[in-house]
Amino acid sequence: MNPEVQREIHDFLVAEFALERTSIPAGENLLATGIIDSMGILRLVTFLEERFGFEASDEDMVPENFTTLEMISAFVERQGKR
Amino acid sequence: MDFSFTPEQLALRAELVKFARRELNEGLADRDRSHAFSREGWSRCAAMGILGLPFPKEYGGSDADVLTTLLAMEALGYGCRDSGLIFAMNAQMWAVQTPIWNFGTDEQKRRYLPRLCAGQSIGAHGMSEPDSGSDSSALATTATRRGDRWILKGTKTFVTNAPIADVFVVFATTDRSRGFMGLTGFVFEKGVKGLRIGNPIEKMGLRTSPMAELIFEDCELPSDALLGREGGGAEVFSSSMEWERGCLLASYLGAMEHQLETCVEYARTRRQFQRPIGKFQSVANKLVDMKVRLETSRLLLYRLAWLKTAGREAVTDAAIAKLYLSESWVQSCLDAIQVHGGYGYMSEFGFERDLRDSIAGRIYSGTSEIQRNIIATQLGL
Repeated sequence: MNPEVQREIHDFLVAEFALERTSIPAGENLLATGIIDSMGILRLVTFLEERFGFEASDEDMVPENFTTLEMISAFVERQGKR
Repeated sequence: MDFSFTPEQLALRAELVKFARRELNEGLADRDRSHAFSREGWSRCAAMGILGLPFPKEYGGSDADVLTTLLAMEALGYGCRDSGLIFAMNAQMWAVQTPIWNFGTDEQKRRYLPRLCAGQSIGAHGMSEPDSGSDSSALATTATRRGDRWILKGTKTFVTNAPIADVFVVFATTDRSRGFMGLTGFVFEKGVKGLRIGNPIEKMGLRTSPMAELIFEDCELPSDALLGREGGGAEVFSSSMEWERGCLLASYLGAMEHQLETCVEYARTRRQFQRPIGKFQSVANKLVDMKVRLETSRLLLYRLAWLKTAGREAVTDAAIAKLYLSESWVQSCLDAIQVHGGYGYMSEFGFERDLRDSIAGRIYSGTSEIQRNIIATQLGL
């Protein structure tokens, strides 16, 4: 796990979706808590694509890639290996 | 970008305008007053092949491409004054037939699509709930497995076609811990145990398109009612919305063109102070603004169709088109009433019905506010 990637995503999530908080635990369920909803996923994916230089496909839009900060980071790192 | 149409496409447009004017408008004022749906109009549209336009021939469709389909819906908007009927057809074509076509099993496609394309069955789509409108992640309707069946509990509201539907596409949450990614689609026929259809809901406009609630009281669905994969409901829902937005907008385009022509004709012939009212700049300017909105709307919509045809991503373009065309249609209705003065305000002339119908466009398929949110997001805000 690249801690730099995870930190950048963490900071984006806090700044965009959890303004009242200062941190989000890596294992917190972002979908169940509503931190990421159907509108938020658009913003998150746009950020990830632009910042890390890849294009997410429809098949990528599954809970296994977006439920927690850890999963999002792992998903981004897998893009570099495609 | 080349937005010119082939002679065949233009012939189809002309044929559909003629058909709509001749077959779909009679008795509309009475139907609007009594909130009556025209099953006859529906069957006539099906016989013209409208309900099957973009769907594969093997399932009763015509294999029409995106632009041809948009042009056909535009023609319908131009010739048919019954916006409720057009809305009801769009609700079935894009929110019922399209998800079945894109995500259904071969068996589901064979079972449902031919009857829907032929107008023998009517489809309804249930997503909104009493406490969940724009925020689809807040759905309260649940689906749980019980043996080889699914058990649905909850209520869907604002379900277009519900009182007359034979086939339903409905979304429920199968895993709340996954938020909007825990949504799952289902397709099934009326008569399933535990499904109750509420009383028809009265509306401000689009009164000829019937609407009701769907109440699921431990409703039992067979395992083959699953539409797409479990947890794939958001994807199924989004795909239908892209089509729905584009094609509903096409009918607004036709309606705005018809309205402008009517207003220009009136402004050229209605005389006040010894001259046609169109000679007064305050009236002429309204008509010019209607024309500018019509042509900018046309460009936005055709560009959206071009992007979709090219397989390009069009999230921002779809949101801009939905926002602009729906707001333009409302403004066009207001201007048409103003140009016609007292006559415009009278029910007999139909402009007040158009206005009542048009307001819904700012709300359904994603409100104007949600479209602005989407565009803002895409701007990085």
